Formats: sequence, structure tokens, C-alpha cells
Amino acid sequence: MSSKRHSILPPVSSSGPKAPVSFSSSITIADSAILTGTSLITISSESVVHPRAKLDSLAGRVTIGRRCVVHERTTLGAIGTTGKVTEHAVTLGDYVTVEVGASIEAGNTIIGEGTTVGVACKIGAGAVIGKNCTLTPHSEIAAGETIPDNTVVYSNGLRRPDRRGVADLRNKGQTRQIDVLRRMIPSNPAKFTA
Amino acid sequence: MAPLEPYTYIQCPCSDFSPLGQPADASSPTSAEEEEEEHTFDPRAPRSNFGLYPLEYLLYCEDCHQIRCPRCVAEEIVTYYCPSCLFEVPSSNLKSEGNRCTRSCFQCPICIGPLSVTSLESAPPDPNLLSPDQGGIPHTTYCLTCSYCNWSSTEIGIRFDKPNSIHAQLAKIRNGGETRLTAKERKERRKELSSHRGGGHAAAVAAAAAAAAASEEAEVVDLETQFANLKSFYNRQLADPNASENSLSTLGDLGFSSPSSLSRIMNLYTGGRLNDTRTKSRLGIMREAYTPSEGLLVANLDESDAIAKLHQTTLEDTSSMDQLMAQPPNLGEPQLHGEACFASSLRPIPYLLRTKRSKRCPVCRHIISKPEAKIQNTRFRIRLVAGSYMPSISIKRLSLPGANGSSSSLVAGDFLEPFKPVHFVLTFKNPIFEPLKVTLGTPAKTPGRFPSKVTVLCPTFDIDANTDVWDEALKDNDRESSVRNTDGSGSSSRRQRAGTVGESGQFQVEAGKVWGRGRNWVSIVVEVVPASLQLRNKDDVLKEDEDILEIPMFVRIEWEVEGGGDDDVSGQSAAGRSGAGTGEQKEKRELAYWCVLGLGRIKQ
Repeated sequence: MSSKRHSILPPVSSSGPKAPVSFSSSITIADSAILTGTSLITISSESVVHPRAKLDSLAGRVTIGRRCVVHERTTLGAIGTTGKVTEHAVTLGDYVTVEVGASIEAGNTIIGEGTTVGVACKIGAGAVIGKNCTLTPHSEIAAGETIPDNTVVYSNGLRRPDRRGVADLRNKGQTRQIDVLRRMIPSNPAKFTA
Repeated sequence: MAPLEPYTYIQCPCSDFSPLGQPADASSPTSAEEEEEEHTFDPRAPRSNFGLYPLEYLLYCEDCHQIRCPRCVAEEIVTYYCPSCLFEVPSSNLKSEGNRCTRSCFQCPICIGPLSVTSLESAPPDPNLLSPDQGGIPHTTYCLTCSYCNWSSTEIGIRFDKPNSIHAQLAKIRNGGETRLTAKERKERRKELSSHRGGGHAAAVAAAAAAAAASEEAEVVDLETQFANLKSFYNRQLADPNASENSLSTLGDLGFSSPSSLSRIMNLYTGGRLNDTRTKSRLGIMREAYTPSEGLLVANLDESDAIAKLHQTTLEDTSSMDQLMAQPPNLGEPQLHGEACFASSLRPIPYLLRTKRSKRCPVCRHIISKPEAKIQNTRFRIRLVAGSYMPSISIKRLSLPGANGSSSSLVAGDFLEPFKPVHFVLTFKNPIFEPLKVTLGTPAKTPGRFPSKVTVLCPTFDIDANTDVWDEALKDNDRESSVRNTDGSGSSSRRQRAGTVGESGQFQVEAGKVWGRGRNWVSIVVEVVPASLQLRNKDDVLKEDEDILEIPMFVRIEWEVEGGGDDDVSGQSAAGRSGAGTGEQKEKRELAYWCVLGLGRIKQ
């Protein structure tokens, strides 16, 4: 490993203190996920954390609800430009999907149940996103903004209500996806709890 | 400001008013040259904006031996196709069904993303329904959904019974799910009506008309329906012999309601079908429509409904101008006074068809670009690109090691210092299989407010033919040894530096000699002394991009072709042998054009 590295920076995985965690027994968390910080990181039952996802609890607690999927290279609890220290940094409800490269900044940010945060989205500190919302790729939510339930954010910040009413179907799809992911991703929660 | 990548633009002769526009005449090169000197091409003139193209944009006519730009070719449509399903649409369908895809390809009315057909279970979904092995649900409906903005046609109340031929189904459904009469059904209904009339019983006719009017009044009249109603009404009027009994026939020839002017207008629409002698000879006045079934549309000026709705909605619920523009015309469009102003009344947009086009030379009508007719195939049958007929010019900033201290760190896009001479290497690459003779001409000072001095150190040179790479490789052994013998400096075998080695061991640029030479390329040096961008008056301002140092350069290339099949130089086409002379004697060809070299920005 060390012979392959050409960067003089220390590896990302070893930066920062090791975070205290509270895991449900049924979660799937990849070996190479990065959990740092000083506050508690809670992951509820049947959630999946992909490799190289970064959960940072330096600015407060990070809580992930049930049956969430956190994809690669996402950052939950980033300090970023607007992040600030609060008791709860980031809270994800149940059935939330955070797609590749998205960044959710710390500061009492709440993502509601059944919401999909698209690829490379940026969510500012203190934003409150309602239930069953969809943020299309590269959407940006300003700090402190409130997005009502069933909203689609698309095309550089345009918004429209989602009237399909497929939340139940989506949640079922999520359950099935988690079933597959559980077989695909070798889970190693012991690395973080130890 | 971002530094500038050097560029070469070539002027198409079509934008020029000089004799260059005509095919070059090899017999009188001097006279053309003299005329050229009278006006130097100014790359900043407003006219130049429309005549300068990168080499890649240009085509070449083999018969006229001229450059052709996208502006001066004649285009012909080869095929029409849908960009979504790549289905070729015959041009006969185009006339009857319009320029949109009539299969199941739709764009989202909100975000123009592609829509896909998804099935909707009519039964409330229970947990087991998602499993793929259930297909025996008796009544499945379908809707169009956008996977990007999550729009679904259920939002405007449109569901489909079957997953295919969505276009035909959509034409029958009004927003909200009510059915709508198609043109064909309307015609049938009218036929019924006229058969009643044919019976001759006045009371029966009146009753039938009233019934029809009542039924159609219940239906909202959209623009298409109104047009069809009006059209059939006027057709009936023209055909009706009773109309001429009207007593006001003396006024008949005036105004819009006169049959003669009306039949003329109808002829415009229907393409002369009504142009029979009977209607022409008949005079008489016609009445206007006065029921909705005849096409009368009372303006609905009461907009309180829309205003009340606006009070309950936000700005995001109204449709934007772009969304309205993208709506297909006449497809269930509401009447003029009730135009869709809410996003909830927008309909899916059938994809606009696209075309594949072939290009012809405007002078000799020969095809210079022709795509493959099959939609899936992106290749071209004929494509005479200019890049395979004329030398490409690439520009590199020359940094002479040791000439001045800082020059080693020069990058091509760096700013140019005023009054400090800089050298650029221009590399001409010959694409044709004949040796080229190149003559360059530039004005001594660039045109414009800030004249920079330009010197081409070697304005005349020859480029070797673009021979086969393998020939070259096989010959290389002999040549390498010869190069070693003559020059002995151990430089690469392909490159012969013409610059002499100075006393301190560095290369120096020498006038009249080429800088480098290879199999089919020659590079020369241009010396430029950039002007200062000091403005004389305080009120003057630097115009946009006026700090770019652009050199107009006149390029004349000459080559010889053998009489015979030598014209297919690029190997792309065997067409265009008309230029070949008789017998085996050599024929001289030449091509002359202006080009513009953008070298970089001058430091302010």
C-alpha cells in the first residue's frame, strides 16, 4: 500500500479522530468507509454505507435512519462553506438515498423520510428537506432553506411538486436494493465499533 | 483574462467580393496578386465575422477547386428521422402527419426530458405486486413519466389503455381524461348530419342540427376543431346551390364573404381541389357561421376562473414562455382566448423530427457531402473536407534557448509583451500526394488601431508530397545516414534545422530559410513586434478582443497534377475527374485564400 502512494498527504481514512459509533446489528458498512469526528455516529437498522463514504461528526452528531443508502464519496457532516457546530450535525430520516459525491453540510441539517439526494448535490447547513423529495443531480440547496414534502428540485433550482404518489413503491424498491447491496458489499462494522 | 490558444481561421471566398470568388486562374497569378494588394483583408472588419472558419468546418469542391463554407453550400434533405426512436419517416407521411414523431416518443412538457411509458396498476398496490411474476392483472393503464423531473401524465389526467401508439391515443384524450373527437370522427358525425339533410325534411334537419350543436357545445372547442368546423362549413357553403338565391347578390363580390374571394382562399388551403368550374361560375353571397358546429367561436372574455386559480397558485405553477413555445401546435390546443397559462395544462411534446442533409457546391451542383441514408449509420458516403486538400497551419510560440533569459518558460498562450519581438513557428502540413509550392503574404503592419509589425522570414517554400508512410519508413535508412553526414549535429532524422548554430551554441533564426522540414511538413518562422495598447485619447476604450494579435495572411499554394485519374487525392471519392487534362502532361493547379492567424493577447 505505502509503495503505491505517491501523495505526501496522509491518507484520508486516517485523518481525524475515530468517532464513537452506535450501530444497529443489521447494517451493512464497507470496510473503507470513513467515520471520523468526536460526536456520536448512529446508523439504524438495515442501512447501507458504501466504500469511501465519509461521515464526519466533528461538528455534531450524525444520525442515519432505517434502510438508508449512503453511496460512495459522499460527505455527511461536511464543514464546507456554511457548516457550523451544533448538537446534531446531520439527520437522515428513514429510506433516504444519498447518491455518489453528494455533500451534506453540518449544522442541524435534516433530510426527510424517503428523499433522494442526487449525484453531486450540495446541501447547505441547517437546510430542512421534507419527505419524499427528489433532488436531481447537481442540485444545490442553500443553507437554512426549507423544502416542503414531495418536492422535486431540478434544472438549476427549479421546483415542482411530485404528484405521482409513488412513495410506497419507491420505499419497496429501496428495500430490494438493500437486499442486493447487502450481498455485494462486504460489511465490517467491527472495524468502527472496536 | 484567460490566455489565448493560437488559432487559424480561413476565409471562405464566398464572403469576398474580390476576384478570389471565382475559380483561380493559373495563367494570370500576377494580376490577381496586384489586385489583392489593393485591399488587405481585415480580420476585424464586421464582414469578416461571417467568412472566417476553422479548417475543420470547410468543405472543398473538387470540380471548382474552391473552398466551400457552411454558408455557401446548397443543402438537400436526405432523410427525416425521429431523434428518439431513430425511425425514418417517409416524406409522404410528413405532409399528412406533420413534422413530429407519430410513434411513442415524447418529451416532458416541464423539463423537455424524454418520457417513458410506465404501467399503472389500477388496483391499490399491495406488497406482493412488485414482484415481476405477476402479469395477469385484468386492467392495466399506462402513463408517460419523466425520470428527471418526475412529471407524469397522470398529473394532467391522461392515462393510456395500451403501451404502444401513444401518439394516436393522446390525440383522442383531452387534458383531464375526457375523450376528444378526432378529425375523422367529426367528419363521420357531419356525414350523418348531411344525410339527414339530404332527406329533405326540414323539421328533421333542424332537429338533427340542434342535437349536433348541443352535443358539440358540451365539448370544449379547441383550435383544431374550430378550424375543421369552419373549413367544412365554408366547403358546404360553396357547394350549396341554394346560396345563390340570396337577394343580396349584387354586393357579393365585395368583402371576405363573397364566394369568389372565399373560393380563392380555400384554394390556397386545399390545393385546388375546389377549383371546378361550378363554384367559379356561381355568384352569390354566403352567410357566416353562426353556431359552434359551423365554427363560430364566441370569445370567452370572462377570465375570472383563471384569476381565481391564479390566486391559489404560485408563480411556479404557471407555464413559462419556453414551455409554451415547445408545445405542439393544434394538438388539442385550447381556443385562442383560453391559452394554457398553467403548467398543469401542458401536454407531452412529440419529438420534432430531424434531418440528414447532403451538401452541394452552389456553382457546379456537384455533391460535396452526402451522409449514409440509414439513420443508424453515422458515416458519410461522400465528404470532401477541406482538410484533405489544403495544408493545415499550426502555430507554436518559439522560445529560443539563451536568446533571452526568461524565454524558456514560455507557454503558447502567454501574453505578448508590447515592443518585444516574438517568434512563432508556423507548421504547414501537406495532405495531398503532390509536392506543394507555398507563397505567403502578410501586410507589414496588422490592420486595426494597434498595428503590430509582422515579418515572415521565409515567405516562399516547397512542401514534399504526402507520400505513403511505409515508403518513407523504408527510405528512412538511407536518408538518416545522409542527414548525419551533412549536418552531423545528431538532431532527429526527420528534422533539418535551417537556423544556423550561433557562436554560443544556440539556434538563430535566419531569414529566407525554412525552420524545419519533414516528410510532408515544413515549418517557418514569423517575427512579430506587438504594438502597445496605449490609447491616444482618454475617451477611447479598448474594444472587445482588440488586444488579440491577429495577422491576416494570404496563402497561395501551387501544385501539379498529372492528367488522368489523379484527382481523387483524398481517396474518399472517385468523382470529379472533369478537371483532369488530356493525355499524360502535367497540369498546374493553384489555390489562394486569406487566413487569419490569432497569435495571442497583447499585455495591457
